[in-house]
Amino acid sequence: MKKMTEAQFSELEKDLNAIRDEVVADLGERDARYIRRIVRLHRTLEISGRAMMPFGIIPPVFIAATATLGIAKIIENMEIGHNVMHGQYDWMNDPGLHSQTYEWDTVCDGDSWRRTHNYEHHTYTNIIGKDRDYGYALLRLSDDEKWQPLHSLQFINYILLSVFFQWGVGLHELESERIRRGEIRLRDKLPFLRAFFRKGGRQAFKDYVFFPLVTLPVAPVVLAGNAGANLIRNLWSSTVIFCGHFTQDAETFSEAECEGESKGHWYLRQLTGSSNFTGGKWVHLLSGHLSYQVEHHVFPDLPAHRYPEISEKVQSVCRNHDIQYNTGSFARQYGTVLKRIIAYSLPDRVRSGLLSAHAGQAT
Amino acid sequence: MLAKHTQSKTLLWLGRQLFNRENPAAFFDPLLERLNPMWVQAYTPARVEQVLEETSDTKTFVLRPADRWQGFEAGQHVNICAEVGGIRRTRTFSLSGSPILWQEQGLITLTIKRLAGGLVTNWLHDHLRIGAILGLGDAFGDFLIPEPAKPVLFIAGGSGITPILSQLETMPASDYAAPVTLLYFVRTPNDVIGEEKLRALAAHWSTLTLTIIYTHERATPRYLSEQDLETVPGIKAREVYLCGPKGLMDLANDLLHKQGISERNIHSTFFSAPQADLGDQALGGLVQFARSDVEVSSEGDANILQIAEAAGLSPRYGCRMGICHQCSCRKTSGTVINRLTGQTSGAGEESIQLCVSVPRGPISIDA
Ligand code: FES
Repeated sequence: MKKMTEAQFSELEKDLNAIRDEVVADLGERDARYIRRIVRLHRTLEISGRAMMPFGIIPPVFIAATATLGIAKIIENMEIGHNVMHGQYDWMNDPGLHSQTYEWDTVCDGDSWRRTHNYEHHTYTNIIGKDRDYGYALLRLSDDEKWQPLHSLQFINYILLSVFFQWGVGLHELESERIRRGEIRLRDKLPFLRAFFRKGGRQAFKDYVFFPLVTLPVAPVVLAGNAGANLIRNLWSSTVIFCGHFTQDAETFSEAECEGESKGHWYLRQLTGSSNFTGGKWVHLLSGHLSYQVEHHVFPDLPAHRYPEISEKVQSVCRNHDIQYNTGSFARQYGTVLKRIIAYSLPDRVRSGLLSAHAGQAT
Repeated sequence: MLAKHTQSKTLLWLGRQLFNRENPAAFFDPLLERLNPMWVQAYTPARVEQVLEETSDTKTFVLRPADRWQGFEAGQHVNICAEVGGIRRTRTFSLSGSPILWQEQGLITLTIKRLAGGLVTNWLHDHLRIGAILGLGDAFGDFLIPEPAKPVLFIAGGSGITPILSQLETMPASDYAAPVTLLYFVRTPNDVIGEEKLRALAAHWSTLTLTIIYTHERATPRYLSEQDLETVPGIKAREVYLCGPKGLMDLANDLLHKQGISERNIHSTFFSAPQADLGDQALGGLVQFARSDVEVSSEGDANILQIAEAAGLSPRYGCRMGICHQCSCRKTSGTVINRLTGQTSGAGEESIQLCVSVPRGPISIDA
């Protein structure tokens, strides 16, 4: 982590607060109109996707229906669910868009997400040992964790995690690694498990029982289409999320260096622990503007569609404080994520050997 | 009946499974709203049918609520919800029309005065046009006409006349037999709300005595006095209804007690006038946690999360620094200041973050 003096930290805090205040003072009708438009878009896509699905016996319709439903789920999870549950629209005072009551269209129970993501991940971003989102306690992505032979298979783990991403996220709060280590007992997690099965059951019932049943003659088609839509959403959202913190230059932190940190220190951690990727308007919308992960982590409760507007200002703060602003094309960022997953699956000796050979080639 | 009930229960269950929400019908609201805003399910919509000028600063809005609205009794209030600058604001107003109008024509009226600096009242005056939609809550309040009929004295001040207008229109329709007196205090003749209605009532309804008193016509203001009460025949036997500014209510209570009228027979109601701006930044006040039934006073040196914890409650929280919204709760009344933004909240029902909010005057929290 970059060394800064207390004075520099408070300077950083002031600069970023100024950006935040400006947006907060300007929140209003434009933002309300935006999120309502997106909600309308989602309803239209979901209803059309579901309506088209039974006609999926015709292959092009199948593709269209699956894609439509998949995109509906992506928009609902990313631009609506994730952002609403961060409290980005609480100020609108609309119970349908309220952080504490919103329940999204994915396996992860809203309350569980609020605890593990909004609180743990956003408070302790990239602190190894405290931010369980870092590698999802499944992947080794930094030197802070010691290599073990099982890690060599982690690329397979990664693929599985991506395919079943919604179930993985849903089970995140189980803290299975701590249960395995005997730090907690399964029994402690009963309330969580109850919520998990209720929500997971609902999601499975909807996509794999109810909608196939009401379209019985074509049930296999509907079942396959719904599964396809979920898969599209899982692959896309896991990819977006991996690109947010596991790129080459995204930093990690130790518990010790974050002990009793100031707000400015917290800001620095958010800035350097996150990474953006560039793309067109649709890429940003479909990623819930997590393509602006840096802005999101600095201001998690500002409406996400504002991030592109403030990005230039955040970058200039970074320049002034000589802080690296991590961004690049989607392909580049994703490439470094894959590289990281593979590199850390190797024992340290092999990895450093490979990397130096690689470096040697480049020069 | 039972079958229908179970059916709707099954539907509700199914809706929850499919749409992950308590009110599944509201899932379609964003689209319904476009087709016909009166079909919205998340709240009861009401369409503005007419806007009438009462005085220079008071308008009457005639509304048609969606059919499922439950109706009301004369003297009750409703919460209305309007979206002002992207923010839903809830405020309470009394219903000024008679329930008969609702039963016969499906219309209700709200008579609303502009408040100096009032965010919502001014918005309603400036932006609410025919065809606009407001959200409507269920009617509530127990400022109700006595039953069976008893002699009544109404004392109203300014826009405090509104629930009384509803009552006065309702009483003759049910052949209210006992004598009724209204003492109505307004600043000047231009400030009388519902004057035509009142005069017409007095002309046709022989047991109604109408006295309109102008408080600011002369150099020295003329307030409610003992003499005013003495002109009311048989005052001791009357049920008294008070509605108006706090000054008038306090004065009336004093004078009525002097007349030997017991607390039991005095009905008063506060409504509409949300506290005008405190001006200064006096922090602290009585904090009421409604669900836990706990009340504590605060000095303004602690945020509401700390206040709740000091009172032995354990609300949900996370970061305690305003970023994670774990501590968000509904505030049902009162004003708070957000420590992070320095902004003052509205007075109505809204969501606040406990860990960065400090009460500014009395508040109640749904926790
Ligand atoms: S506890 Fe995190 S916002 Fe209040």
